[in-house]
Amino acid sequence: MNKRTFLPILAAAAAAVCLVPGPAAGQQDVVLTIRDGQPAISFALPPFAASESAKAAAEEVHAVLEADLKYTRIFSLLPKSYYAYIQTQNFKTIRFEDWQSINAAVLFTAEVSQAGNGELVLERNFYDVKSKRQILPGKRYQAKPADLRFLAHRMADEIMKSYGEKPLFTSKIAFVSDRDGNNEIYMMDYDGANQTRLTFNKTQDYSPAWSPDASRLAYTSYQQLTAGLYILDVYEGKRTPVSTRGGNFYSPSWSSDGRRLAFASTMDGNANMEIYAAEIEAKPTRVGRIKRLTFSQNSDTAPTWSPNGRQVAFTSDRAGTPQIYVMDAEGGNVQRISFGASYHDSPAWSPAGDRIVYVARVDNVFDLYIYSIRTQSVQKLTESNARNESPSWSPDGRHVVFTSNMRGGSQIWVIDADGANLRPLTSQGANKLPDWGN
Amino acid sequence: MKRALILSLTILLAASFTVSCKPKVKPVPKPVQAVEQPKVEKIEPQVPVQKPRLSEEELYMAKSLEQLNSEKPLALINFDYDEYVIREDAKAILDANAAWLKRWPSAKILVEGHCDERGTEDYNLALGEKRAQAAYDYLVGLGISGSRMKTLSYGKSQPLDMSKDDSAMARNSRDQFLVIEK
Repeated sequence: MNKRTFLPILAAAAAAVCLVPGPAAGQQDVVLTIRDGQPAISFALPPFAASESAKAAAEEVHAVLEADLKYTRIFSLLPKSYYAYIQTQNFKTIRFEDWQSINAAVLFTAEVSQAGNGELVLERNFYDVKSKRQILPGKRYQAKPADLRFLAHRMADEIMKSYGEKPLFTSKIAFVSDRDGNNEIYMMDYDGANQTRLTFNKTQDYSPAWSPDASRLAYTSYQQLTAGLYILDVYEGKRTPVSTRGGNFYSPSWSSDGRRLAFASTMDGNANMEIYAAEIEAKPTRVGRIKRLTFSQNSDTAPTWSPNGRQVAFTSDRAGTPQIYVMDAEGGNVQRISFGASYHDSPAWSPAGDRIVYVARVDNVFDLYIYSIRTQSVQKLTESNARNESPSWSPDGRHVVFTSNMRGGSQIWVIDADGANLRPLTSQGANKLPDWGN
Repeated sequence: MKRALILSLTILLAASFTVSCKPKVKPVPKPVQAVEQPKVEKIEPQVPVQKPRLSEEELYMAKSLEQLNSEKPLALINFDYDEYVIREDAKAILDANAAWLKRWPSAKILVEGHCDERGTEDYNLALGEKRAQAAYDYLVGLGISGSRMKTLSYGKSQPLDMSKDDSAMARNSRDQFLVIEK
C-alpha cells in the first residue's frame, strides 16, 4: 500500500500503516504506527518557552507551526488543556511518562530568546514519547522578526521530511491577479500569506508555471501584440523569451526534471493551437530545440507532464468537444481518458503520477474531478454549484489549489484531495490560474 | 483825402466781406433734445488664414495609432455562445472592415479573439484563437492579404461587460480589431 497517497484519505480504513522516520542518523529504530480508528498521530505542541521580550515571537511561531501541522491531517494536536497535567514545564528534563499519560505520541518543544541584534533564536526538540528518543536531532535557528512565519514553515517541513513526506510549507503558489490594475503574476505562501507581485507590465501576464526547482516561472506575456512565452528567474529578476519567432504561446508546463517545457502554440502558422515541447537548460536559463508533439487539425492545449516525463496529458477538441487525452512524450500513442461529459479541460498530473485532476462541465456547472490512472475511475472533488477550474496539486499530492467563483468573484481556493478542508486563499481583486510549486 | 481813402478802402473791404460771407445768424437756443446715437459700423471678422487643406490620405497619416484606434475604424463582431462561426450580421461588419483595409492598403491589424466567462481558461484561449482565425480567414477571402493581419487570443481575460447577464455574455463573445501599423 502506498502510504504517501492513502494516508490522509483512507486513514480510517487503513489497517495499520507504518511510518518510518527519515534518514536521521541513529533514529531508524523509531517506528510510529497508525491504527484503526486512530486517524492521526497524537502530537504534543506545548506553548514555547520564551524570555519576556521574546514572548510575542514565540507565540507567532507556535501559531504558524500549529496551523501547518493541522493542515497535514497526519497529526492530531493534543487539546491545550491537556498540558495542565504536565508537572514540569522545564523542557531540558522531560518526563516522558507524563506525556505518555496524556496520550502524546510525539512531542515538539521549543525555547525562544532574543539575540543581541534584534534577531530571535529558537531552539527546538522533537521526540518520540514512547521510546524517549529524539526523532530529529536538536537544532537552533536564528531569524529576523519578519521571517518568523518562514521559520515555522521550515520546522514544519523538517517534521514532514522526518516522516518521509514531501514538504510543502515553504512552497509557493504562483497566480494571476488584477489587484493592481491589469493581470500580473503574483506568488503567495501555501496558506495565502505573503502575497507578492512578480511581474510589472502594462499589458497582461498569464498562466504562470513553476519550474520543479521553484526558482523560475514560465508564463505567457501579452507584449508586442503577441502572446509570448517567457521564463522568469524569480529571485534574479531575469527574463528569457522561449521563442522569438511569431505565433502565440499559452499554458506552459514543466517536466519534473525541469529540462522540458510543454506549451500550446500557433508558432508554425497553424490556425489551431498545437502542443510543443522546448528543451530548457538551467543556470543560466537557455532554450534549446523546440519539438512539435501534436499534428491534429483541432485545438490541442493545456499540456501537463506525467512525473516520470514519459507522457503528456492535454485537452483536445479533436472528437468535437474538449476532452482529455494522454500521449507519450514524443507525441505518439494518443489515448482519450475523459468520458461522461461533453466538456473537459485543464488536466494536472499528480506528483505521484497515479492521478489526474481535471475540470468537467456537467449541467453547466464546472467542477474538479480526480481520475485514477490505475483503476480508470473518477471521483468528484468539488461540489459548489459554481465554476471551479485551473487545478494544481500541492507538492505532496494531498491538496489541490484551484480557481472558483463560488462566492461571486474569481478567487483562489484550496481543498484536500479527498474533498475536505475547502478554504479561500485570496480576496483582493480577481485572482486565478494558480500553480503550486515545489 | 488820405482819411477819405482809408475810409473808402475800409468800406470796400467790409463790403467785400459782406459779399463773400454769409451774414452771421444769431443762434437761437433750442429746447434740449435726445442725443442722436452715433452710427455703428459693424466690423466683419477678418478672414482667417487657411492651412493648406489636407487630403484624406494626409489626415490619415497625421493621426497617431492611438488616435486612429480611438475612432474605432474597424467595428467588432460578436459570436454565438461557444461558437466561432462568423454570423450573418458579422459578415456585413467584416465587409465594411475589408473595405477600410482596401482603402488603407498599408494598414496592418491585430485580430483579437475574446470569450465570455462561461468556460475554462485554456478552452477559452483556444476558442479565442479560433474566433480570431475565423475573422482572419473571412477577410483573406475578401482579398485582404494575410501578411497584414495577426491573430491573438485573450480568452476570457478581457470582458467588455463585467455584469453576468446574458447580454453581457453575448457582448463579450467577440473579435476586436486593432490597427497596429499604418
